Amino acid sequence: MAPLNKKLLETVSVTKRFGGLLALDSVSYSVEEGEVRGIIGPNGAGKTTFFNVTTGELKPTSGKIFLKGEDITDLSPYSICQKGLSRTFQLTLVFPEMSVYDSVWVGVNLRTRSPWNPAVPAGRIVDARRKTEEICHWMGLWEKREELACNLSYGDQKVLEIAMALSTEPSVLLLDEPTQGVSPKETDTIMEVIERLSKHMTIVLIEHSMDVVLRLCHVITVFSEGRVIAEGPPEKISKNEEVQRIYLGEIR
Amino acid sequence: MNPGRGAERKSVSTYFALFFLLLFFVLGFILPRGARSLVIQMMVFSILAMGYDLSLGYTKQCSLGHAVFFGGGAYGAIFSILYLKVGILPSLIFSLLGGLGLGLLTGLISVRLTEAYFVIVTAIFFSVFHLLAMDMTYLTGGDDGLSIKLPRLSLGFVKFSLYDQVTNYYFVLLFLALSYLILKRIAESPMGKIFVSIRENEKRVQFLGYNVYRYKLVAFVLSAMFTALSGGLYALTLRYGSADFFSFYWSIMPVVWCLIGGLGTLTGPWIGAVIMSLFQYYVSAWWTYYMILFGVIILLILRVSRKGIVGYLMSRRWT
Repeated sequence: MAPLNKKLLETVSVTKRFGGLLALDSVSYSVEEGEVRGIIGPNGAGKTTFFNVTTGELKPTSGKIFLKGEDITDLSPYSICQKGLSRTFQLTLVFPEMSVYDSVWVGVNLRTRSPWNPAVPAGRIVDARRKTEEICHWMGLWEKREELACNLSYGDQKVLEIAMALSTEPSVLLLDEPTQGVSPKETDTIMEVIERLSKHMTIVLIEHSMDVVLRLCHVITVFSEGRVIAEGPPEKISKNEEVQRIYLGEIR
Repeated sequence: MNPGRGAERKSVSTYFALFFLLLFFVLGFILPRGARSLVIQMMVFSILAMGYDLSLGYTKQCSLGHAVFFGGGAYGAIFSILYLKVGILPSLIFSLLGGLGLGLLTGLISVRLTEAYFVIVTAIFFSVFHLLAMDMTYLTGGDDGLSIKLPRLSLGFVKFSLYDQVTNYYFVLLFLALSYLILKRIAESPMGKIFVSIRENEKRVQFLGYNVYRYKLVAFVLSAMFTALSGGLYALTLRYGSADFFSFYWSIMPVVWCLIGGLGTLTGPWIGAVIMSLFQYYVSAWWTYYMILFGVIILLILRVSRKGIVGYLMSRRWT
């Protein structure tokens, strides 16, 4: 039951239970190539759980997940990533004592001919070096490439995480609240980066800030209590009464 | 921060290695007999320390089971000389095979465990093997151990004998240099970088598409093999091996060497081994409870820098 042509990522009635808590209640979701999708919803709506289940960190209680038509439900995180699904984390996970350049390099190395090579100095692998440099330039991290990740500002760490996720050449990029906890000025930088990315990539973005989602996404999905309660283009979602009640209502 | 700092950081460690190798090379000529045997010991320990660094310093696997590999390597060499009548170099290959086998055996069971569980399970391996070695006296000689007669080492038409202390010295030095070069090469390779990223954040590496357990197993087994090589060299140097080669000393000392020298620096643990051997040799002579002082020194060094001696020097800017 492979899904049709252009759907890159698809979940078929995915359910996740934690004991008595129903974190995801038969979520069916699909992303087509080139789309930029947003996921919004109040805290505890199951947004991050949804990412955790699709990327293999958690196994769904029931339901199926497909990437490019291939069933990835039972695969481990690393093989899902190898197949082209990459993500960032809400609480940034970077390599604290590694330089920006090296952090990006690790992801780039995955797609080289022999990533496990124990005998050739890493610096001599020209393809990987060139691509790492390219990503550093493109993400605006070039000036900071020698800095250790732990010395970066929180905003830069978020950018670095996106760069790392990007370095594995994903077909779909999942971004989990890339602007959370970041200063307004850096938020602009990150949004600019994502906007540039969105012209080349299929992206699914979890965000709290409505500004960001309304500006960037083609389609917005609203989660509440583990269910998808609305889905549609930004104009429609911002006018949806139920959404205003449970989501926007809380902010006002 | 100036660019190119990464290169500088690396070279501090390399200079240390070159300096020490050169120093050892010169010392071999000039040292008196007693001191030379101490330096041989230090060099053997340095190989053990570097090998252990691959496990603790590079992939954050705090193993307490390395005595198994040290003893395994020693007995690999001893058995092959006793029963198979092989030469010196093939006997070291048996050491390495011993390390490979024991490393795979223990690694396959333990690398999936997280921190504390890993420590405990590897410690259990150590105690099981130590008990076995003590009990199976018919095989290992127990506490009394087994003595071996060393065959001559023939390279082409030149023959050496390890009974000659100077030959023994340069033989061990050669292996120290080789081990360093191989480990440095691995550390700078893609595989080495993946090891470091696993140390930094295992979960993130998983989500960058790497099978973390496989890499941890490789690091663990490589570490076991260098430890076994060190055990083999130690047995050849002493021309003797006993159940004591499986004792807790060989599990705990590498941790100490790595901590005070600097984790993940290769040469740091090496320096740790040298300092601690000197300390042990001289202080134990005049004070029985020198171990207490030992602990104080470790604490003092870690108080100044959690990164150990070489880690501290590397993290400073040299401009």
